[in-house]
Amino acid sequence: MAGLELRNIAKSYGAVSVIEGIDLSVEDGEFVALVGPSGCGKSTILRMVAGLEDISGGDIIIGDRVVNDLTPRERNIAMVFQSYALYPHMTVYKNMAFNLELSGKPKAEIDQRVRQAARMLELEPLLERKPSQLSGGQRQRVAMGRAVVRDPAVFLFDEPLSNLDAKLRVQMRSEIKALHKKVGVTSIYVTHDQVEAMTLSDRVVVLNHGVIQQEGSPMELYRRPANLFVAGFIGSPAMNFFEATIEGNSARTASGLSFAFNAAEAVSDGQQVTIGVRPEHFQAGSGPLSGEVTFVEPTGGQTFVTLDLSGQPTMVLVSSEEDIETGSRLSVTAPLERTYVFDGQSGRRISKN
Amino acid sequence: MTETTAPIDAATAGGGRSERLPTKVYLYISLTILTAIIIIPLLSTALGGFKTLGELRGNPFGLPANWQWSNYGDILFSQRYWLQMGNSLLIAALTVFLTLSLSAMTAFTFAHVKFFGSGFLLNYFLIGLMFPAATAILPLFIRIRDLGLLDTYWGVVLPQVAFGLGMSVLLFRNFFRNLPSELFDAAFVDGAGYLRFFWSITLPLSRPIIATVGIISFVGSWNSYILPLIMLNSESKYPWPLGIMVYRGEFSTDWQLILAFITLTILPTVIVFFAAQKHIIAGLTAGAVK
Repeated sequence: MAGLELRNIAKSYGAVSVIEGIDLSVEDGEFVALVGPSGCGKSTILRMVAGLEDISGGDIIIGDRVVNDLTPRERNIAMVFQSYALYPHMTVYKNMAFNLELSGKPKAEIDQRVRQAARMLELEPLLERKPSQLSGGQRQRVAMGRAVVRDPAVFLFDEPLSNLDAKLRVQMRSEIKALHKKVGVTSIYVTHDQVEAMTLSDRVVVLNHGVIQQEGSPMELYRRPANLFVAGFIGSPAMNFFEATIEGNSARTASGLSFAFNAAEAVSDGQQVTIGVRPEHFQAGSGPLSGEVTFVEPTGGQTFVTLDLSGQPTMVLVSSEEDIETGSRLSVTAPLERTYVFDGQSGRRISKN
Repeated sequence: MTETTAPIDAATAGGGRSERLPTKVYLYISLTILTAIIIIPLLSTALGGFKTLGELRGNPFGLPANWQWSNYGDILFSQRYWLQMGNSLLIAALTVFLTLSLSAMTAFTFAHVKFFGSGFLLNYFLIGLMFPAATAILPLFIRIRDLGLLDTYWGVVLPQVAFGLGMSVLLFRNFFRNLPSELFDAAFVDGAGYLRFFWSITLPLSRPIIATVGIISFVGSWNSYILPLIMLNSESKYPWPLGIMVYRGEFSTDWQLILAFITLTILPTVIVFFAAQKHIIAGLTAGAVK
């Protein structure tokens, strides 16, 4: 086991730069999720750590070794792929043993390690089967078994759950978490699904256009997003945004909605800002913001209500105890301590919370 | 819902059937004609081998009145038949082995390794598809003579392999490129190099294309006539197509014997094809439809 450090790593294809100077350090045993929209460079970073992709600049350090020029095997990493990438012609046992055979381990040791990993992942009855005879979830477990069996310094997960259906995904999520608890290996997990990232990891790194937007614990990102991108990306359903202008101590939209907020820095009248309020933070019932209900989506415990606030569709989360009908009017309040304000130009958060 | 749609389904199915029926009839008629064109000469050759010369002249297409098993028996007990079969098999085996190993490795390189000029080099290989061996027979003869390979099996095998490479490399490369690239990544992370990936992952997954290329080159070599004719002098090294020629020279009036001999030479190819036809079709259409 070992920590991992990325020092100013960059990647460009010819003149096109996809990763620009990423710095990231992952502590020994930590579970870090890289999350971002498709094309943000998260998979490229993972492949660079694995050694499947050359780096154009910077250093990758695993433990205390710079591994820039080492082959994937010499880096002592294990990777779980989106498509599982199991060898179709080999049995589960062979799939798991392949790496150990290549590294010339004695047969007895290979057998012992494969069986130990199989026991941990409940794969024992499947050892003699071929991947085509397994279900999606079982294939996923074999892919993890293949990674565990090598006892690597770092685990790399490349969107490992995106080929599974919703129910299985939740189950495998908890299995991955349990596995990490058991083996405690430093792990990097790439996903475009922020729910996966938040539920699994100790720390989430949000990427966009090859640049780290923010890193921190899941709740830190949710509570104190550094900028407009993180605010919009983290949280489901997504935060509501309103274009506004500073007027004294509050911000006013062109349509006349007014939001009070706690500024973290000096703001000036007329400054362009974006107001952000999460659907679950609106308090329904009474308040200065009132609009017509245009859409109601009951989900059981909670109901998503879309309001027309002076021409702007706004999502509000209300308790399912309240019966709200399309066409009725609803008044809401945006609490002062839950109203985010972002600079109109840079997108940086300028409110205290 | 089902009540209203059921009659409509029946109506459209009925309409479809009456429309489709003539198309199917035409299809079967043309397939029957096509099959007959192939089967009738084959069958009459095989049956002709069971007749006496007189009967063959009087009744070339019908069943023999008296089955002359001795026509086939004599050939099967002759040393010449087995010697020529051995020659044909040896030449075909060497050709298949060399074609498979060379084209698989070449195609693997073109499919996975990026290097300067790889596109040009691949096209250069494919130019080979445009030239049948017969067009280059004179320069080939001179080159084989200079190499001292005249009247050796290699003098036939090497040109056959060379002319087969264009097609084989193309078939192999297309197949390899359609294998998922994550398999390569996984193997690389597992510690495999190119050679190991080729041997342990690519080849075991390439059975259909190996069968296809193997059969194509086997049949090509089995039927090859011009090359052995030019390169081989000793009758003891002749493969079957040349053997038939010599046999015909000797028994020029005994057509029933020649027909029996021809039937016996065709038989192995037919057997090989039937044994592997599933693979051949799978290999030729591989990658066409996901």
